[in-house]
Amino acid sequence: MIMLLEIKEMDKLVAAKITEHEANLNNAEQFKEEIFALIDNGHLRIIISFEKVNYVDSSFLGAMVSCLKHALSKGGDIYLADLQKDIYSLLVLIRMDKVFKIYKTEEEGASSI
Amino acid sequence: MTEPASKKILLVDDSPFMLSVMAKAFEKEGFTAIKAASAAEALKILEKEQPDIILSDYEMPGVNGFALRRSLLKDPATKDIPFAFLTSHKDNDLIMKGLDELLAVDFINKETPLPVIISKLDNLVATVRQKQALSVEELRKAAEAINVKSIPAKRPDVKGFEIDFWHLPYQGHPGGDFIDFIRVSERYIFVVLGDVMGKKWTAWFFTFSFLSYIRAAVRFCVVAEEYDPALILQKINQVICHDEVLKDILAGLSLLLIDEETGKVAYAGAGDLPLLYYKAGNGSLTSIKTSGLLLGLFSEVMYDARILEMEEGDRLLIFSDGIIDYTEGDVHKSDYDLFKKNVAPFLKMNNSFTAIRTYLQKQLAGSRQADDCSIISVLKK
Repeated sequence: MIMLLEIKEMDKLVAAKITEHEANLNNAEQFKEEIFALIDNGHLRIIISFEKVNYVDSSFLGAMVSCLKHALSKGGDIYLADLQKDIYSLLVLIRMDKVFKIYKTEEEGASSI
Repeated sequence: MTEPASKKILLVDDSPFMLSVMAKAFEKEGFTAIKAASAAEALKILEKEQPDIILSDYEMPGVNGFALRRSLLKDPATKDIPFAFLTSHKDNDLIMKGLDELLAVDFINKETPLPVIISKLDNLVATVRQKQALSVEELRKAAEAINVKSIPAKRPDVKGFEIDFWHLPYQGHPGGDFIDFIRVSERYIFVVLGDVMGKKWTAWFFTFSFLSYIRAAVRFCVVAEEYDPALILQKINQVICHDEVLKDILAGLSLLLIDEETGKVAYAGAGDLPLLYYKAGNGSLTSIKTSGLLLGLFSEVMYDARILEMEEGDRLLIFSDGIIDYTEGDVHKSDYDLFKKNVAPFLKMNNSFTAIRTYLQKQLAGSRQADDCSIISVLKK
């Protein structure tokens, strides 16, 4: 199976870049599986890069939150980065910015986490 | 309701000539034909496309039709797409293996005239759709029998207000959006707009659990004479967070409490889109935000309410995220501000809601719709 996430191990965290343009119902479950696998392998802090993503639907948002809950339950955290302007606005509108720590870029997140 | 999506077939054959001839013939009969020159290409296409049926050659270099079928059966996203083999084989054992073991719906001999193949597969797609429609109908009947409707049949009568709503399911399937009007006394009525995250069936099933909890929480609060939508959201959220089945399911919710005696409206939201408040007096359109997070996220979340003292001609719009989605070329986008800007001119009109509905229908027609769409309008008379 082709992986949805491009993984880069960094100093204190793992960066996971979504390789598709749409984050939706079709890849939400795969996203969840890949992130859960990372967490279960001890990578508790994960920064997700949305650089390539134009659209996030509610199924995918649900999967993101499941991942966050799983990470938190193990003492980890999930961070978001490289969000396109309208996706960022949508997340703020529905108060997801209070749930996830959001960084402008993956680098910015990596240096401040 | 949306028109059913056009019939889509995925054709898999290593011969470019066969592919092109078949695609043309199917397209002439109203199908959208997608061509794959190999099993690998078919698998790649199926990551993005959901055809109604797959017709695959059996003999192909590399991965043959059987191996392709085996891969598809392993993937929950593709295993239920009807699959037919096209073959020049007359080996009955092979055919039996395909039909029994690999659950192929048919084995079609390559010598069969194309119009016959098309007509066979066309009938098959029609039968599958008919069965699906029947199942939906059965589920609907069962849900109605226990008096749970995710979308009400008619507008409620509210003294001093005019309530309208509009709902468009995603691709004609029931989904995660739900609307409810809960009349609790002669004076008070609750207006509910919810959105269970996800699409189609799974989301739809969970709307009933959410609706039951919402109704129960509303009733408990009313019995205790607590007419506070923020408190109600808090109670619903706590119950949902502790429900084993629902704990991984999230929902956005907008809850309005209309007081017919004072004309005041109290609003509390849980991870919903800010509602739009149109003031007829100065023609302004403002977003009203509350701070509550999605239901089902964390059990200790606090919710807050806003009291709106509406004047004659003022209007509130509450809506699900599908309303602000749009498609530009092949790209899906969400834009709240764009929706706000586009809807503003309609609010000044006499028949505002009809105009908004017509605008949305046009905007979301066909493939432009990306999610369930629901909107409720509350007009102060």
